[in-house]
Amino acid sequence: MNAIQIKNVTKRYKDVTALDNVSLAFEHGKIYGLLGRNGAGKSTLINIIANRIFADSGEIVIDGIPAKESMKVHEKIFCMSETDLYDTGLKVRDHFKWAARFYDSFNIEKAFDIAEKFNLDTNKKFKALSKGYQSIFKLTAAMALEVPYVIFDEPVLGLDANHRELFYHLLLEDYERNERTIIIATHLIEEAANLIEEVVLIDQGKILLQDNAASLLEESCCVSGIEHEVDAYCAGKNVIGYDELGNLKIAYIMGTKEPLPKTGSLNCTPVNLQKLFVKITEKGGR
Amino acid sequence: MKNLKSIVQYECFTSFKYIWLFYAIQYAIVGFITLIVGLASGTFDDIGSKCLETNTLIYISILGVMGFKEDFKMLIQNGFSRKYIFIATLSMFAFISGIMALIDTITGTLLHYFSSSYFSMYGALYGYRHSFINWLWLFLLYMIFCCLMYFVILLINKIGRTASVCLAAASGGIILLVIALFRYVLSAETVSSILEFLAAAMGFTAGGAVNRIIPLLTLSVLAAVFAAGAYAIIRRTELKE
Repeated sequence: MNAIQIKNVTKRYKDVTALDNVSLAFEHGKIYGLLGRNGAGKSTLINIIANRIFADSGEIVIDGIPAKESMKVHEKIFCMSETDLYDTGLKVRDHFKWAARFYDSFNIEKAFDIAEKFNLDTNKKFKALSKGYQSIFKLTAAMALEVPYVIFDEPVLGLDANHRELFYHLLLEDYERNERTIIIATHLIEEAANLIEEVVLIDQGKILLQDNAASLLEESCCVSGIEHEVDAYCAGKNVIGYDELGNLKIAYIMGTKEPLPKTGSLNCTPVNLQKLFVKITEKGGR
Repeated sequence: MKNLKSIVQYECFTSFKYIWLFYAIQYAIVGFITLIVGLASGTFDDIGSKCLETNTLIYISILGVMGFKEDFKMLIQNGFSRKYIFIATLSMFAFISGIMALIDTITGTLLHYFSSSYFSMYGALYGYRHSFINWLWLFLLYMIFCCLMYFVILLINKIGRTASVCLAAASGGIILLVIALFRYVLSAETVSSILEFLAAAMGFTAGGAVNRIIPLLTLSVLAAVFAAGAYAIIRRTELKE
């Protein structure tokens, strides 16, 4: 099977369970949004997939190959980290050159081309770059690597709005040319919402939800109106959260949509991905 | 194999460039001090340093630490397995140790040739007649220090700061205990036997003859032990962000 399969993965840090028997699959050729609040377990999961840390139990299988300590998956997956793991004393252009030696699938021309689009000075050492440009360097390296699975952990950290737009544009453009699996872990959900095909929502070390983003939004709605009318409408439905203002109430509902009563003050509007995320994780605790 | 070649090249190339800086600084300092002392005392007789290899040992120990501190992060980011990282790091240690041992063998021999008051570490122990064995001995000594420091830094990373401090204190205690054992507990005969064994391990036999092969074996065994210890730890080492 062409996928990253996560099978019953558990990871504990002393008395904290970062991942609790997590099982899911990232299929080939889709763009995933890996969403979760701070400390939800996203980075732990990414680090286990990238063989940076080890699971206490369970395993990661990439295209049928167990990923733990295996060089067979070297040309299959790359993970752009939120943290800086690169040699800070090397120039950007030298990093590109070494990446081209490390990976058969690293397209060095593409790396320089992307760097130019971002105005990234390739003669500068990594440590001399601003936080934003360090992120740009990291995402440039990830985009230039033509492996089947790429994970972006907070890719737009420190980037201004123009650069963020450029990144999303380049990523989509590249995806159209070369279909592969892209996993984006981000807190800027609304910005990435247009890219994401599949949503994986993780909270307190467990997978709360895995669904197609479009159908998820299709099946969700936000019903607003006078409190008692909203309460009456919501009875028996899967309400993931409320907002209240005076005697006005907004209910966020997931599941099959039912028509609103013809009389009364109720309104039904679509929910955006960020609101859905906030309400689901509120329900999930904390 | 292409991956292994590239990672070994990375390790060697990125470490190689600093060697020349180290030697430039070392010889500049030695030259400067010699000049100052010579001018101040009015004579250059009996002025100079001995066993300059000790500086290399410090440099090589730092290299052992940096072998983990800097490169592990970079290489794990680039998707290499711990086994590959270990092989590449050890290759880099061998490469740098080989070059530095060569430089130190040549300069040690030359300095002794021009000034008989200068003694290199190997020359002081075994003489200057066997340049290749001199190089091999120094190479293995440098490898021991690289592997030892690599092992130590991996251990510190694994067990954490508090446990490392406790371990360092315990190690200090053990050294004091061994000294006390030698001075107050063990009989003179036992102490003499142990010292004889240690001297024999370094090639100095009881009859006064010097064997130059045995110390090479001893140093090889020690380097292998520390390298094996380092591998046992790195296999289980996780990236700490």
